[in-house]
Amino acid sequence: MLGLVTSCSTSTNEQATNVTEMTIYSGRSEEFIAPFFADWQAATGIKLNVRYGDSAELSAQILEEGSNSPADLFLSQDAGSLGAISQAGLFTTLPSDVAADIPAAYVAANREWVGITGRARVFAYAPVRVKTLPASVTDLTKSIYKNQIGIAPTNASFQAFLAALIENKGSGFAKTWLEGLQANGVKIYLKNSAIVEAIDKGEISLGLVNHYYIWEVSESLGRAINVKNGFFAPSDLGNLINVSGAGVLQTSAKQKTAQDLINYLTSPAAQQKFVTDTHEYSLLDGALPPTDLPTLDKIGAPSLDLKNLSNIKATQDLLIQVGLL
Amino acid sequence: MLTTSPARIAEPPSSHTQSQRGWRAVLLTSVGAVAGISMIPFVYLLVRASDKPFDEIVQLLLRQKTLEVLATTATLVICVVAINLVLGIAIASGLHFVHLPFRRLLVIPMVLPLAIPSYVFTYTWVALIPSFSGFAAAVFILSISTIPYIILATLAGLRSIDGSQIEVARSLGLNLPQTFLRVVFPQIRGHVSAGALLAGLYTMSDFGAVSLLNVETLTVSIQNMYRASYDRSAAAVISFVLIAFSILFVLADESIKGKSTQSQLLKSTSFKSPLIRKKYLRFGTTSIITAFALVAVILPFYVLLTRFFSNPVAIDWTSLATATISTVSVAALGAIIALVLSAPLGLLLSAGASRFTTVTNKIVVIAHALPGVVVGLALVSIGSKLGALYQTTFLLAFAYAILFLAKSVTSMSSSLARVPDGVKDVAATLGMNPWAVVKKVIAPIAAPGIGIGTILVFLTAMKELPATLMLRPTGFETLATQIWSSGSINRFNEAAPYALILVLVAAIPTFLISRPDKEDHSYLQESTGGPSERT
Repeated sequence: MLGLVTSCSTSTNEQATNVTEMTIYSGRSEEFIAPFFADWQAATGIKLNVRYGDSAELSAQILEEGSNSPADLFLSQDAGSLGAISQAGLFTTLPSDVAADIPAAYVAANREWVGITGRARVFAYAPVRVKTLPASVTDLTKSIYKNQIGIAPTNASFQAFLAALIENKGSGFAKTWLEGLQANGVKIYLKNSAIVEAIDKGEISLGLVNHYYIWEVSESLGRAINVKNGFFAPSDLGNLINVSGAGVLQTSAKQKTAQDLINYLTSPAAQQKFVTDTHEYSLLDGALPPTDLPTLDKIGAPSLDLKNLSNIKATQDLLIQVGLL
Repeated sequence: MLTTSPARIAEPPSSHTQSQRGWRAVLLTSVGAVAGISMIPFVYLLVRASDKPFDEIVQLLLRQKTLEVLATTATLVICVVAINLVLGIAIASGLHFVHLPFRRLLVIPMVLPLAIPSYVFTYTWVALIPSFSGFAAAVFILSISTIPYIILATLAGLRSIDGSQIEVARSLGLNLPQTFLRVVFPQIRGHVSAGALLAGLYTMSDFGAVSLLNVETLTVSIQNMYRASYDRSAAAVISFVLIAFSILFVLADESIKGKSTQSQLLKSTSFKSPLIRKKYLRFGTTSIITAFALVAVILPFYVLLTRFFSNPVAIDWTSLATATISTVSVAALGAIIALVLSAPLGLLLSAGASRFTTVTNKIVVIAHALPGVVVGLALVSIGSKLGALYQTTFLLAFAYAILFLAKSVTSMSSSLARVPDGVKDVAATLGMNPWAVVKKVIAPIAAPGIGIGTILVFLTAMKELPATLMLRPTGFETLATQIWSSGSINRFNEAAPYALILVLVAAIPTFLISRPDKEDHSYLQESTGGPSERT
């Protein structure tokens, strides 16, 4: 028995020393994640072949590839895409010493994927035009916001929020809410950044997005924008916290190397780098928040289990039913 | 006016019939293989769609959203094709018949928009007019993207008309519009219809422009379902709506072509009617051409250039060079594969259509309407089982060939049909083997048209995005993926160098297609046999 364990660990050690390159499917954009990969590559000497794309599209691709996937590690912008791979049985269970400091709330119950960074759902708004701030997402169907609101129903973070709404209030409530938004002239965008751009342009005044887009858009425009982040009243579902995360493919022959990279991305140094460079939240306890934002525990996030949100099927059926997909 | 070719009537000697039979069997087998390859996306969609229970499929097909999106798609396609027909025929006829300054060079800016991807058009127009969005904007962008197809097709038709017919019509007292409608148009109808079909299918399968302009077509719907949902079967079901719609289009084209007179007529004389010098026509043509060049070439170039020079981010020349080489080589490989795949089908179609070849041809054309994401996923599904072949440039090039085979087949079969049957038969009777017939008789006549088809595949492949994203080797960047990865209109400055290079590189084959140097370069000078008509 002991011999078996020893030989096992030897073989993983061997594997780790022999690995010269690894393939990553990254739903996180090159601009923001490549510096982290470069650091790790420099430290380990292992070459990373990174396939960049949209999280959901890469997830569809992995599902299509099945057990033939060339990917070792999948890095996703959202938990939904990770959940889909996990449900298809294509991820492997991560040992407890991988990303050990990430709180259990941000790790899949079966440890098939772990959260890497946190992003808060907020409403972005133009302070000049929005005089009455909404206290809850349910306020958005009120006529004072008519033709003023933008959402991105194809966006995974929006869908995670909708999943939370269905989970907590039932699908009838969620359907009424979506139809209320449609009746209120809600405008549809392809992605969060387009919503923030539209608020800046004056096309709309308020939109449901993740917290970091106001920086992203402002940096890409190279100027300050007239858009601010707002939080709903404490514990409103509109303040949901989502995670970006990573999982290791079961078919990968480089388990140990992939786990090492996850450990690097969840290390205090890398987590702090995410906060400063990409304005995301570190998931580590006691970490500093991004500039001008409350810490994760002060956001007033609803207390609910992220894991319940990974089954996105019901959410999408609802979106298809009301015609938003 | 037409003579039946005598060799048609005479029975060729039996020994040749035998070798021809063997030759035909080889061709038929190859066409079968091509049909099988083109069916890959359809089979994939069937498998995926069948994952869904029947009642859910019906529900999905009949829900209001599906019908709305279908209506949007249909309206968009009809508007684009209508604008294409009016402007495309006007521009082509002007270029062909009217005396204009630098007439031959004017073809270049008329065809150059082929080099500009629809999403780059959209970026440049949004940069000019920030509020540029919506249905009318999409009609505009897709029209300027596709008018060159009609111009090219119409010009090809016009060049094959015998000028003496026009002279006769004029001397019999028909005025210019009457001559055009009664003598010219019936002869170019088939060409125009083929161009309209390509334009329509392009519009149906476009994702870049419509998604950026917030217009939800079937392709956007399908893409969104893949993007947003892991529900691949719903996307597959909607794909069948798109397929059904494109079948309607193909059938319409078929019936128009059936009615067209002698579009395959081989011009027996190089007589070209003299250019028209009427003032109003010269002024009208010049205005249309200038306006089109302004919105479709000059302004986009201006925006790209200003963005290029005002780009604050240092240009990564290495990645720019690598992406350029990658783009050109993989698109060229795709065009060559398409050429090889379309050869047997083109040969058989030109020799007279059988049910088998017509059906295969239709499959190929309908596959052209499928969004890149569908063909991409179908090839991911099969390609990932191929081990080392998966995510190689070869498989990517192969995907391009499947996606754009229609372009190659269409021009191949219409060019080959120009070869008079009589010539082939006579050559065979004289004891030439089939290969020699292809090389010495068919190739010289059909080569220019086939070249155009191959270049069209090359051009479109250079601009392709969704299938490229899925099938490229990991880390392999093309100009299109680099432009797209800048992702947002605000970051267009960073994408500008890539867009500019893409347009410049694509301009070279576009120049070759428009061939201003060889306007009357006729495949016809060596008109060996009498005129013949394909029945």
